[in-house]
Amino acid sequence: MNDSTFVFYIIFNLFFAVIISPFFMSLIKKVKAYCQGRKGPQLFQTYYNLMKLMKKEVVYSSTSSNIMRITPYINIVVILLSSICVPLVFIPQSSGSGFGNIILFLYLLALAKFFMALSGLDAGSTFGSMGSSREMTISAVFEPVIIIVFAALAFVMNTADIYRMFTNSVNSSMPFLNPIKFLNSISLFIILIVETSRCPVDNPETHLELTMIHEAMLLENTGKNLALMELSHAIKQTLLMALLINLIIPYGLITTLTFTGVILGAFSFFVKASIVSVIVGVLESSIAKSRLFRLPILFMMVFFFSFLTILFEVFLK
Amino acid sequence: MLIYCVIGVAALISILLSKSHNSMTVISVLQSSLSLGVTAYFILYRSLPVYYLSNRYFFMDHLGLYETLITWLIFLLTSIYASGYMKHLIVLNRFKKENLKMFYFAFNLLPINIMFAFFSNNLALFWVFTELTTLVSAVLIVLPNAKDNIIIALNYIFIASTAMLFSFIGLILLFGLTKNSTGTGTLNWDSLLSIVPSISSSVLALSIIFIFIGFATKSGIAPFHTWLPHAHAKAPSIVSTLLSAVLLNVGIYGIIRVYALVVHTPAARIISVIFFIFGLFTIAVAALTMFSQKTIKKFIAYSSIENMGLILVGIAIGTPLAMFWILFHTLAHSISKALLFFSAEVIQEQHEGLIIGEMSDVLRLQPFSSFCLIIGSLTVIGIPLFPVFLSKMGIVLELANVSYILLSISVILFFIVASAFSVVLMDIFSEKSSDDEDLPVRNATPLTIVLPMVILIALIFILGVFIPQNLNDLLIKIVSQLGI
Amino acid sequence: MINFPYEGILSALFVLVLVTAAFILTRRNILSLFTNYAMQSLFIAIIALILFLKENSVTLLVLSILTFATRVLIIPYVIKKIQKLMRIRRDVSFHYLTPISSLIVSIVLIISIYYSFYKFAANLSLAGVSYLGSTLGISLTFIGMLVIFSRKKAITKIVGYLVMENGVLLFSLFFSELPLIVEILIILDLIMLILIAAILAFGIDSTLEEFHQKINPLQKWVKEKF
Repeated sequence: MNDSTFVFYIIFNLFFAVIISPFFMSLIKKVKAYCQGRKGPQLFQTYYNLMKLMKKEVVYSSTSSNIMRITPYINIVVILLSSICVPLVFIPQSSGSGFGNIILFLYLLALAKFFMALSGLDAGSTFGSMGSSREMTISAVFEPVIIIVFAALAFVMNTADIYRMFTNSVNSSMPFLNPIKFLNSISLFIILIVETSRCPVDNPETHLELTMIHEAMLLENTGKNLALMELSHAIKQTLLMALLINLIIPYGLITTLTFTGVILGAFSFFVKASIVSVIVGVLESSIAKSRLFRLPILFMMVFFFSFLTILFEVFLK
Repeated sequence: MLIYCVIGVAALISILLSKSHNSMTVISVLQSSLSLGVTAYFILYRSLPVYYLSNRYFFMDHLGLYETLITWLIFLLTSIYASGYMKHLIVLNRFKKENLKMFYFAFNLLPINIMFAFFSNNLALFWVFTELTTLVSAVLIVLPNAKDNIIIALNYIFIASTAMLFSFIGLILLFGLTKNSTGTGTLNWDSLLSIVPSISSSVLALSIIFIFIGFATKSGIAPFHTWLPHAHAKAPSIVSTLLSAVLLNVGIYGIIRVYALVVHTPAARIISVIFFIFGLFTIAVAALTMFSQKTIKKFIAYSSIENMGLILVGIAIGTPLAMFWILFHTLAHSISKALLFFSAEVIQEQHEGLIIGEMSDVLRLQPFSSFCLIIGSLTVIGIPLFPVFLSKMGIVLELANVSYILLSISVILFFIVASAFSVVLMDIFSEKSSDDEDLPVRNATPLTIVLPMVILIALIFILGVFIPQNLNDLLIKIVSQLGI
Repeated sequence: MINFPYEGILSALFVLVLVTAAFILTRRNILSLFTNYAMQSLFIAIIALILFLKENSVTLLVLSILTFATRVLIIPYVIKKIQKLMRIRRDVSFHYLTPISSLIVSIVLIISIYYSFYKFAANLSLAGVSYLGSTLGISLTFIGMLVIFSRKKAITKIVGYLVMENGVLLFSLFFSELPLIVEILIILDLIMLILIAAILAFGIDSTLEEFHQKINPLQKWVKEKF
């Protein structure tokens, strides 16, 4: 019983993540467009973009190696694996699979990022290597921050298993009124912004050399590969949003499998994630991208913040 | 105490209303002499201690009155000196006449402020008044020469106020501790005397150390002394005198009061050790830095630091005899420091803008002031026949009872200080221009400048030879009241 | 609200107070310093208010209102006015500590103060939140001292001193409250200190002087060359 539920959960989570992620990307773009006073692309534009890209021919640079060819596939596989770690609608029993471990989640994301950086270097163009080096600099400084934030989360929730964390959340009443959890959610929001390369860390819409970080690594990919990279980026964003949402507003999450529960849960996740996307979009429009060398200070502040959260949680016990 | 308030308020209001420099001088001299007389009367004829206000926040006891006596004495002499000095500054156009009123207002406010600090029973109130003295003295430093002195004054305010915040943390700790022991907390010194033995000694020691940090900064103990040389050197001479001779006493007064609280508790041991370390460090820093000073006033400022270190060492010894000599030393130090600053200023004004090595014909141009400088230096070093000799000897003898190592270290340091003084004096007085060069014009020294120095010399010679019986009794009473 | 989560809210407010202190430590924009200081004082006023709700002592209520009135409204207003006269916007230079290292130093400070206070205060009757509040008060004082040491401009040093005062206030809120008259005197003293220090800082930091000092060598060079 447990195993089949788990298999169902895996399939459902994967499909749900893949289907719903591009919507949030275009929602953010639309919100930013409205903030800038224009209408922006349609809400389903990202789906059309992905389908168009899938049909296009893949062109490889003559100086690229195998890394370039396998990275998009590694990326999508790893991201889909990590989507098993974060339940979007339905929380399975922790079947001893070890999949819910938050550190595993973190390092799957890091693996994807690593390969993306390698592929940026692979083509030998200056844009790519510049983007890779910048991205790795930021990640190197930000990784301790993520670990501290996740550690704070683990301390607060008393477990390192994401499934159990969500179950705790569902079972506790009004978790968003707990001040420590509220502070944790602020840190998680900042992680969302940094990991998905949004302002103030990086501008996702620019293609100027001066300011590109994430986009520079994707520059050499074409056709199907580009579609896969974009899709994995979108899924990563959805997963991080889910981590944030399901911890503080777990309404709609279900632990037992019922048909109506699944439908309602999917719908409520959709609504909650849309709200978060709108907030991200508004935030992006109101802050300017900050200079590269000022970023470590911002990260240090987040580190300080999460460190204090752990400290208080520890000291008060 | 009401009399003091009345005199003070009357003086301040009349300064605000007065129009000419002469009247302001007369008012300050009047205020200081009246207050001095009132203080002497209280010491001789009132039975002390007297408490004021229903919650006993203010009181007059022997120590407070003694320090107030020193304050008003120095202030009287300084206000006599000030009239000639300010006239000189105005003539030279270094001081604007419009600022005169504010200057005299602050000048008269400062002793009143200090007096209130000496009379507060409540330690928190003492803290507030000490902070206010920082502000008033900073205003006094800035007013004459704003451009150069602003940075110094701001530095002074920051260092003093920051350290006083630590002292405030210590006070809150003490308050909380008394609240734990008895039901209601109190910061009144006389109530604290009885409550303190029942507080656990480790936290008590911690709070005393915190309190010590603030007051040590105020009195120039190293390593918190960094503001002192600049502030005392760049301020005009009358302000320097007040700062060195009077304001440093406020910090020492706080340290004495706080030490008297813990002297009979187990915490006294660690506190004494800490006081010894800081005191000897201060004397060492001052003694070694003295050699490289180029201006007379900075040199004298370092001598103040050294004396404060000596007083701290004396407090650390903790025997009644040491405390007796400490109290005598505050009087002796104030008098000699005032004399030093007065004479140094006259010489400095004569040889404007010259450092020690470049001054020539000092003795020829200003014989009286040079003579006073020499006497002041001899006094501060501790030559016999001068009062500091008595107190230094007393403290050194007491130190011998504690430890021979400390004794030898401090005696060596005293010799270093003495040699620094002699080096500087030789540097000042040894240059002589040849007979056919023209001498610069000699500055006139009016009576108002000469008179205070004469009085100070007389006091020094009297005190150096014998201690009046009244003073002796007063000091003994203070020591017994402190409970040491 | 029978089971008002005092501890949770108080610890969240503590975190916010320390975060504003961290902002003051690392930001270069001077206007943001004042806003951060005002927010910090606001959080401390709210802490005092919550303590009043918990312990029902009028002193706390009056203290909370006074803190709000002076430290959130009056003092930032006065300093902003003076800063407008000074016309400086940014305090770019850091003296001994870069922003990152000063944050690391403050983390180390907070931990060490917590543990050393623990050793000393074994026999003080302080429960969880009070103990945490007291140590945070002392750490806030030390962070304020860090601000004074690591910045060059006088106006930033004044804000550092104000942060130290906030720390002492926080410490006194949790350790034991002083009688009201003393608190009022301290607030008056603080206002006077800020006035005088700000006036003096205006004399030092004024950009007109810096402008002339920078221009002077250039003028001399131009005169030499042509």
